Amino acid sequence: MERKGQRPLLDRWGTLQAREARLAWMLTSPTALIVFGLIIFPVVFSVWISFHDVTLRNLNDVFHAPYVGWKNYRNVVNDFAFKFQGVHQWGAAVTSVVYTFVATALTVLLGLVAALLLNRPFRGRGATRAIFLFPYIAPIVSVAFVWRWILDPRPSGVLNDLLMRMGLIDLPKAYLATRGLALVLVIIFTAWRYFPFAMLMILARLQAVDRVMYEAAAVDGANAWHKFRHITLPELRYVLGAIFLLRLIWTFNKFDDIYLLTGGGFGTNVLPVLTYQFSFRALNFGKGAATAMILLAILSVFMLVYTRTVMRGSE
Amino acid sequence: MTSNRSNTKGSDRANLLDRLAQSITWPRFIFALILIFFLTSILFPFYWMVSSSFKDYAEIGSREAVYIPGAFRLDAYRELFDPNHPNFWNFGSNILNSLKVAVPTAIIAVILSTLGAYAIARLRFRGKGFLLNGILLVYLFPGVMLIIPLFAMIARMGSTLGFGVQDNLPILIVTYLAQTLPVALYMLANYFRTIPAEIEQAALIDGCSRFGVIWRVTLPLSVPALVSVAIYTFMIAWNEFLYALVFLNSSAMFTMPIKISMIFNDPTPRLHVVMAASTVMTVPVVILFLALQRFLTEGLTAGGVKG
Repeated sequence: MERKGQRPLLDRWGTLQAREARLAWMLTSPTALIVFGLIIFPVVFSVWISFHDVTLRNLNDVFHAPYVGWKNYRNVVNDFAFKFQGVHQWGAAVTSVVYTFVATALTVLLGLVAALLLNRPFRGRGATRAIFLFPYIAPIVSVAFVWRWILDPRPSGVLNDLLMRMGLIDLPKAYLATRGLALVLVIIFTAWRYFPFAMLMILARLQAVDRVMYEAAAVDGANAWHKFRHITLPELRYVLGAIFLLRLIWTFNKFDDIYLLTGGGFGTNVLPVLTYQFSFRALNFGKGAATAMILLAILSVFMLVYTRTVMRGSE
Repeated sequence: MTSNRSNTKGSDRANLLDRLAQSITWPRFIFALILIFFLTSILFPFYWMVSSSFKDYAEIGSREAVYIPGAFRLDAYRELFDPNHPNFWNFGSNILNSLKVAVPTAIIAVILSTLGAYAIARLRFRGKGFLLNGILLVYLFPGVMLIIPLFAMIARMGSTLGFGVQDNLPILIVTYLAQTLPVALYMLANYFRTIPAEIEQAALIDGCSRFGVIWRVTLPLSVPALVSVAIYTFMIAWNEFLYALVFLNSSAMFTMPIKISMIFNDPTPRLHVVMAASTVMTVPVVILFLALQRFLTEGLTAGGVKG
């Protein structure tokens, strides 16, 4: 639009613009090179690997690996660790989806409660907000191992100790090694660790809500619940949706949390951990890549929704 | 005099209690309850980490949980750092490895993202939208999926050029850059947009080159943002687990997270040592965060959703 208006000066503008563009590309190229070279190319290469027989033997000569068609995918889909075999053996695909949705919902819910809490003025609010961010900024290894130690199967574990003192259990239990319970605990851990991210986003949005609306509602005799239901929630709708999708994608991709807490055992195996196990434990990179592609296929559904709604909305 | 003063103090206190009693209403009570629930569930694990690091082997495996260590014991720390200890872990070398990875990552990320973010915030060029969206999409790919082709790619390159994939810290730095640059770029570009373009234009008119403008005008105005990007990328590299797990093979080259996980998986339970190492790893991060809290939280929100 602007360019059309300046048509008489096109020649001079053209060179200036060209110079600016050249400079811009020069400035962005190192970043672009690293990011695209280490992410976009690997994504493409990953597709290639998933159709070839790549193991530790031919890793040094990977480009001559034999083509095997859909064999890797068939192996993954028929693997007992992957496929759904009834209520007691969910397999990694179903576990992944259930884990991701429940953990994300809980994360956003906790984030919302924490943000509403911190949106009220009280003494020590700044310090409290800083403390609330601790789980998110602390190294994953240390928090995961602290939680494992709290849930330790020995009587010296905190949860065992508390429940035994209260007389609720007689013998110590191995919580993270109990099917079902392990998944619940992993979900709680995920929400505990990532709610601060949701909290920050919601808090930023809450502080932008016009106070006048609350005052008007108060004049009309609205109580706290009405205000929350009819002012706060509608104002937050967009940001809640955005956080939900973003966290959904990130949780679906998460490897560290579950790997460190349970190693993917006891009904908590998810696709990222399975991908790691196939490629770096069984050293079958083709099968690992195929698992990753299935993960990506499910993920791309999330991504599509994300780009359709959030990225368009933020323009 | 003194009695008088204490008297007024006493009545003040009574007054305060009175006011306190009046001010406790149901909503406030529930508010306080939820706040306490959050604070305990957040702080207890951290307390448990630090306090367990002062316990000894007997307290770790006793018949009940030991909530306060019997004495201020440094056994676990000696095991980590004292070469004369029978179970010496040489954790100092792992701290050094983590620094060797995290510091260059932070410095290079700041330099590269400053250049890129300046172009994105200030210059008009074809392909900017594509670049931004591409970088944003990258943010959404799973690390575990990228690591297989990266591993194969670098192994292939290594066998041609004659370097090893494993135990190679520079390779780790490059992969961390790929993970941190998108966020760094977004944080900085958002910040640069808040600097009035007029200041830069004035410098340009005065005959400054573009690089001169970046160096003399933009950077001095962006010190808080640059520091927070540096800390942020440092923290990501410091905390990173998966890539280090795959790319590092010998315990002398391990970064802290991998070493801690190795100590955790030791056949004899060494939880006090794990907690000591975790404390050593967590404390600097928390201090850095607290010192720069305001900038960092702004950066965190700016990197995600606007408004």
